[in-house]
Amino acid sequence: MESREIIKAKLAEWGIVPSEDDLQELEPAYEALIRWQSVLEDMLRIKSLGNDMEMPLSEPALIHDIERYR
Amino acid sequence: MAPSAQERAFSSIEDLSGRIRSKEVSPVEVAELMLARIDELNPKIHAFYTVFHDAVLSDARRAEEEVGRGQYRGPLHGIPIGIKDIYESGRTTGGSKTLQHYVADEDCVAVSRLKEAGALILGKTATYEFAYGIQSLKSPVPPVRSAWDLSREAGGSSSGSAGAIAAGMAYAGMGSCTGGSIRWPAQCCLLVGLKATYGRVSRRGIFPLAWSLDHAGPLARTVKDSAYMLQGCAGWDPLDPASARVPVPDFTSKMDRDIQGMKIGLMTSIYGKCDPKVLAPYNEALRKFESLGAQLIELPELLTLEQMEAIGMPLIWADAAAVHYKNVRKRGDDYNPNTRQFLQWGMLIGSTYYLLANQARAQARDDLIEAMTKKVDVLVLPTAGFPGPPPVAEESPGLNFIGAGFEIYTPVFNFTGLPAVQVPCGFDSDGLPVGLQVAAKPFDEETMFQVARAYEQASEWHTMHADI
Repeated sequence: MESREIIKAKLAEWGIVPSEDDLQELEPAYEALIRWQSVLEDMLRIKSLGNDMEMPLSEPALIHDIERYR
Repeated sequence: MAPSAQERAFSSIEDLSGRIRSKEVSPVEVAELMLARIDELNPKIHAFYTVFHDAVLSDARRAEEEVGRGQYRGPLHGIPIGIKDIYESGRTTGGSKTLQHYVADEDCVAVSRLKEAGALILGKTATYEFAYGIQSLKSPVPPVRSAWDLSREAGGSSSGSAGAIAAGMAYAGMGSCTGGSIRWPAQCCLLVGLKATYGRVSRRGIFPLAWSLDHAGPLARTVKDSAYMLQGCAGWDPLDPASARVPVPDFTSKMDRDIQGMKIGLMTSIYGKCDPKVLAPYNEALRKFESLGAQLIELPELLTLEQMEAIGMPLIWADAAAVHYKNVRKRGDDYNPNTRQFLQWGMLIGSTYYLLANQARAQARDDLIEAMTKKVDVLVLPTAGFPGPPPVAEESPGLNFIGAGFEIYTPVFNFTGLPAVQVPCGFDSDGLPVGLQVAAKPFDEETMFQVARAYEQASEWHTMHADI
């Protein structure tokens, strides 16, 4: 599926219908997001478990636990 | 000799507060001066949306009486300041057509605390729409102009507070910062811009952009003035879920210590492609740090610009989409196109990406803290890789800087939560302001202020102001 169709489908999930101008802006920005996905994958530290399996070595900072560094 | 009205309009809080305390200057006199300048200059600068004319004079008279009775509250007593228009306090529009009639029924926590410290609230200052959507000449509200060059904007998103201070219409102002919205306009207007550690200042009553990256903080003329402002609004708020239950120190305690022997870590990993026009004054500033006895240590192993973008931008806009999606559904056509498109982009970010970005965020934060625990005392880097401020936008800029290697180096301290301050470090070859950032370990604002103040006092930039 082309980026444009994916964008329309994803926004439709939230009840949003983008204009043609919006879509023209969103297409390259969406493609940047796909590129950045591999940037993240490359920087995250993992433990290799062999046989093409791996385990993440860090947890998402969903709860901002900065206070523990005081 | 007493300063002229023009000189007084550009005083530091440090200087003015001494004169108020000694009763050489009355808060009423100072408030009247600011109001007169707003009347004269705001039609050109567009820094204020709302001016609390009667209230500020009434508060100034009360401050004058209190100081007269010896009930001096501290360095903010009787000092007129501006408040970004996403802080709830009186009419609060968020810089958006969608909220143009909203009037808050009470002050947000930060404003309440600043009033308690004696600050005089002049009014509500302009903002990019909801602290992000860039105002253009086609927006319902005009872009804020820089007093240094009226054809250019004041930066953003805390554009009004920056524009007001730079034009001598306020002595300081509050901004908000999710990716650099305090430090960037501070650079554009040759000011100090501060965001303290995440959780240091309550966000309750401030319209959110991205919950886990939003910081409230001041813009001011000097490092010490920014510390006074932080002192006035910092502290635990049990009703802000992100508020840190930590003691509030005297932020000026290390301010006048030298930096002999301190280790300054340079985040060269991020600013490798910085514009040489910015690097020239920045490198000059680094030499000044060396002349003050500090040791410079390059840290090329820390995160890169692309990694910072891949973490920061999606985190901001996924959060922002969750804040705004219902309003965009109903009132999307009333948002600036730029804001609406960013929010739509936020809705494209999937949950797996969001979690990976938060994982990378935790890793980046721990790496920076480890560097400051084992190798250096503070981190230093330019505020942006290009000089500011940009020309006023003719129309909505869309999403053109997503993925384009946008050389703004501020977001790293939003998603890691570390305290960071922007300090002016001169001008580029075209005469546009350039700034640098000093960042420190969590809740160690005192060390950050110490290093920033040492540089500031050894330079001349804080003594300059626009001729307006």
